[in-house]
Amino acid sequence: MAIRGTGEGTDYNVKRAALLLTAFFIVSFFSLPTAFAQVHVRMRVILASNTGQDIDPSLRDVHKELGSLFSFTSYRLVRDEGLNLSLNQPARIIGRTGKAFLEATLVGQHKNVAELRLRVVREGTEILNTQVRLFSGRTVIVGGPRHGEGVVIYALYGNF
Amino acid sequence: MKDSCSAVSRLLEKYFDQEVTDNERLLVEGHLPDCPDCRNELRSMEELRTLMKFPVEEATRKEDFPWVWQKIEREVRRAQEKVTWWQSLRSRLDVSPLFKRKVWIPAAATFVVLLFITAQIILKKTPSYLEASVVEYVESQTDNVMVYQSEKPDVTVIWLFEGPEREQTTT
Repeated sequence: MAIRGTGEGTDYNVKRAALLLTAFFIVSFFSLPTAFAQVHVRMRVILASNTGQDIDPSLRDVHKELGSLFSFTSYRLVRDEGLNLSLNQPARIIGRTGKAFLEATLVGQHKNVAELRLRVVREGTEILNTQVRLFSGRTVIVGGPRHGEGVVIYALYGNF
Repeated sequence: MKDSCSAVSRLLEKYFDQEVTDNERLLVEGHLPDCPDCRNELRSMEELRTLMKFPVEEATRKEDFPWVWQKIEREVRRAQEKVTWWQSLRSRLDVSPLFKRKVWIPAAATFVVLLFITAQIILKKTPSYLEASVVEYVESQTDNVMVYQSEKPDVTVIWLFEGPEREQTTT
């Protein structure tokens, strides 16, 4: 004596389950890399000027690099923060006066490269809009906005 | 008349079992009042049925049917015990029902899709970002912008050159 299923109905259910499983695997496979994308970026806000000769002690490690790139005589660290950037979640670094800020948004990530959208806004006006690829272990500098007698330099260091 | 009696007597059993057609029934019922032989035969059939009815009903009442099912189950169990472990294993590992049900079609499709995705990942060439530009785009509606790539140190600089108006207001 044999117990039989309902023929075509069983086949249909099996096919449907297989299709749903396939769709689930495909969707989860493609959503995984973006769902957990998060990068750590070290952000330093430096005030550079030609007034005085003082170099902030915490900038000794990059003083040589800054010296080879710019001709300022004074570098003062305003802020030093570690940002954990999540996909499409903007993070802001506001300057000392509160009038200007840099907004960084992670828009993509590929292994050791993070794609960042950067916006510099001062007094409500967007003065810079750019998108850069930040490699792990490398630096991208955004500078130039004037502040008093000097300029503001935003240094982003990829660490992921 | 004799012919008619002979024809009716052949139909009598069917008439008794209510299996005759309307015409046959009319024929039999038209004949019975005039034929005592046929009436007697019909009465004999009725008596025989009455005689058989009571003993059969009594026997059915007395019959222990649960006991019959127990006996059947015992026999089925004994038949299953006769199956060797090898036969049992073979029946468990038998995949032929799956082929009959055509489950292999969606299974094969799933396998092919997964294989395709895996192959894409393995064979996919990682884009060489080292060769590509670090700055994808840059725009400023207020100032001039310079992009500078330094090799030593490996730094990319995006520098804003503010216009004279901005400088005057800032200073």
